[in-house]
Amino acid sequence: MSDWIAIAAMVVVAGGLPIGVVLVSRLLRPSVPERQKQKTYESGEVPTGDTRIRFSIQYYLVAMMFLVFDVEVVLLIPWAVYLVQDPSTYVPAFVFIVILFIGMGWAWRNGAIQWIRPKGRERVRPRDV
Amino acid sequence: MVPPSYYVLLSALIFAIGLYGVLTRRNAVVILMCVELMLNAANLNIVAFAAYLGDVTGQILVLFALAIAAAEVAVGLGIFILVYREYGTVDVTLPRGMRW
Amino acid sequence: MVELGFQQADLLPLAPEIAILGSALLILLIDSFSRGKHGKAAVAIAAASVAAAFAASLALYGTTAEAFGGTFVVDGFSLFFNVAILLVTALVVVSSLDYLEEFYPEGADELTEYVVLLLFATAGMMLMASSRSLVTAFIALELAALPSYALVAFAKRNRASIEGGMKYFVLGALSSAFLLYGISLVYGATGAFDFVAIADAIAAGDVEPGVLSLGSLLVLFGLAFKVAAVPFHVWAPDAYTGAPTTIAAFVSSASKIAGFVLLFRLFTTAFPAEVDWVYAAIVLSVVTMTYGNFAAAVQDSVKRMLAYSSIAHAGYALIAVAVFSAEATGDSAFALGAGMSHLLVYGLMNTGAFLVVALVDDYYGAGYTFEDYAGLGRKMPAVGLAMAVFMLSLAGLPTGGGFVSKLVLFAGAVNSGFWWLALLGGVNSALSLYYYTRVLKWMWVEEAPEDQVELDRKPLALYASILFAAVATVALLFAFAPVIETATAAAEALLE
Repeated sequence: MSDWIAIAAMVVVAGGLPIGVVLVSRLLRPSVPERQKQKTYESGEVPTGDTRIRFSIQYYLVAMMFLVFDVEVVLLIPWAVYLVQDPSTYVPAFVFIVILFIGMGWAWRNGAIQWIRPKGRERVRPRDV
Repeated sequence: MVPPSYYVLLSALIFAIGLYGVLTRRNAVVILMCVELMLNAANLNIVAFAAYLGDVTGQILVLFALAIAAAEVAVGLGIFILVYREYGTVDVTLPRGMRW
Repeated sequence: MVELGFQQADLLPLAPEIAILGSALLILLIDSFSRGKHGKAAVAIAAASVAAAFAASLALYGTTAEAFGGTFVVDGFSLFFNVAILLVTALVVVSSLDYLEEFYPEGADELTEYVVLLLFATAGMMLMASSRSLVTAFIALELAALPSYALVAFAKRNRASIEGGMKYFVLGALSSAFLLYGISLVYGATGAFDFVAIADAIAAGDVEPGVLSLGSLLVLFGLAFKVAAVPFHVWAPDAYTGAPTTIAAFVSSASKIAGFVLLFRLFTTAFPAEVDWVYAAIVLSVVTMTYGNFAAAVQDSVKRMLAYSSIAHAGYALIAVAVFSAEATGDSAFALGAGMSHLLVYGLMNTGAFLVVALVDDYYGAGYTFEDYAGLGRKMPAVGLAMAVFMLSLAGLPTGGGFVSKLVLFAGAVNSGFWWLALLGGVNSALSLYYYTRVLKWMWVEEAPEDQVELDRKPLALYASILFAAVATVALLFAFAPVIETATAAAEALLE
């Protein structure tokens, strides 16, 4: 149970510190409410447009590719850290990586990670997703 | 060591939150996030049990489940983009061309 | 410790799956290195690999092998379902050659992607049939499900297709979450993923009964989503109606078969009758067949009628689950074998019926309601006859294997003391005759309207698929004995 007392103490301190700081500064500082203070940029820069703009679909494609391959790497970590000691695991890991490369190559050839599509070249096929 | 029942309670809570979100939200992307929450509740459960049982198989399943969840998100967002292009929104209650 | 790496002995039994996966990767490679799209070549490679996998499954028949530390097991049971799934895939792949460019002209050059997704889904389904561990079962199920979502939404400019894909995806993802959570609870209760080890742990009594029951119930729910059992069916009618019709055929046949394989194996090997889920199976079965039939009876659209009819057939197959799961009275191997052979026959006739819809609705553009089928039987007698075979066989009349398979299914139920379940099934079949014959009445009895579409084109591949399915359905009426014998033998081996 004594482990938990340390955690409880940490919760109290971690929670109490910011609350205490805000309280103390509220007591000490002068209060000058002013409209200028509520602006987004106090430097005087006037914000334009909406925060929620639409991003190009290209970001989505790259993010998707990243997400999938990022997670696939997770599957390789146990192999790279531990199983690599056993030579009989080389072939499965190699097959796994080859399959990943086939997928990657296919997506590449189909223009999934082509940032600016060159016009008039046949090898990049138009994709609409 | 924290007993596994704490983890099970926490994961049940997360699962319930996710399920609540799936049932009440209308935005497809939020629903997808809630489903991910449910999957992660299950993952938490499995990791907790694996640690408790001293069995590594559970952790391997969690790695696979993570990869599958990522692939699922990829497919799902692709479908939602199609929905957005056709309907101008990702509200799941709006596409109702088929009833009965 | 588990043997690391893989041995040749692991790979040989999984040759069918490897053939399918390898050809899918080969198509991707060709597509990466070639300048144009080679959709037709992709179909040819896919058909060849399906044929190879089919041959390999038949050649492997009679062997029983474990692979990858027992996470996969190749036995008569899994090979039987491999054959059923591959038959459906073959029909769908071949008919897509004519179908896709007609239904979705903008994506005619995306036939390559379509075929690859189809192959990956097929491999996932076949792996579902062989997995004997919750880990591999979950991965295989997702490998089957993810391409299916994409395939249902494949016609990217078609509103119905997108809507169906969205509904299928959202509910499918939800069901995966339920399944994984159920798996986590079963793992927590028993400490194992392997079906045999789970059964051993349960038999040893060393489990938390509450956690195990909840876990197995959630797993049952997750799989009930996959086989579209009421009340987990809500995605099915929309997904089947919206999807390209060949994909509707694929998902409603192969995906359902694969879901049932996992259900069968899980509840025979991992959770034997000690766990009280028999009642859940009975309730699911009765509700599913009754709801499916009543909903199918009120449809205007033939495709949607077939969607509900496939739900009703899930109810019939669930009879087998309920029967073999009950106390092993009577001949539970026979009941399970009957369920297996019914799924095989169902795969053929359901796919065939959907392909006829694909031909009439989408290829000729005649329209989707019953009225639009007026007089088509006399205009294209071969297709009309094939449709008659499918419809009557689905209803359970002796024009095809559906008659005998339903007969043995109900006989198995009666044998095990579930005569009232068989009776309900019989009443439901009689009801289903109404809407199945309605199609035939419009096709053969009614006169065709003056302004009906021209039926001058002859899509060879689509015709061939439909006729093959029809011939196979009829042939199974006469050659049913070997099928049921093989299925029962496989079931016996599984139940031991």
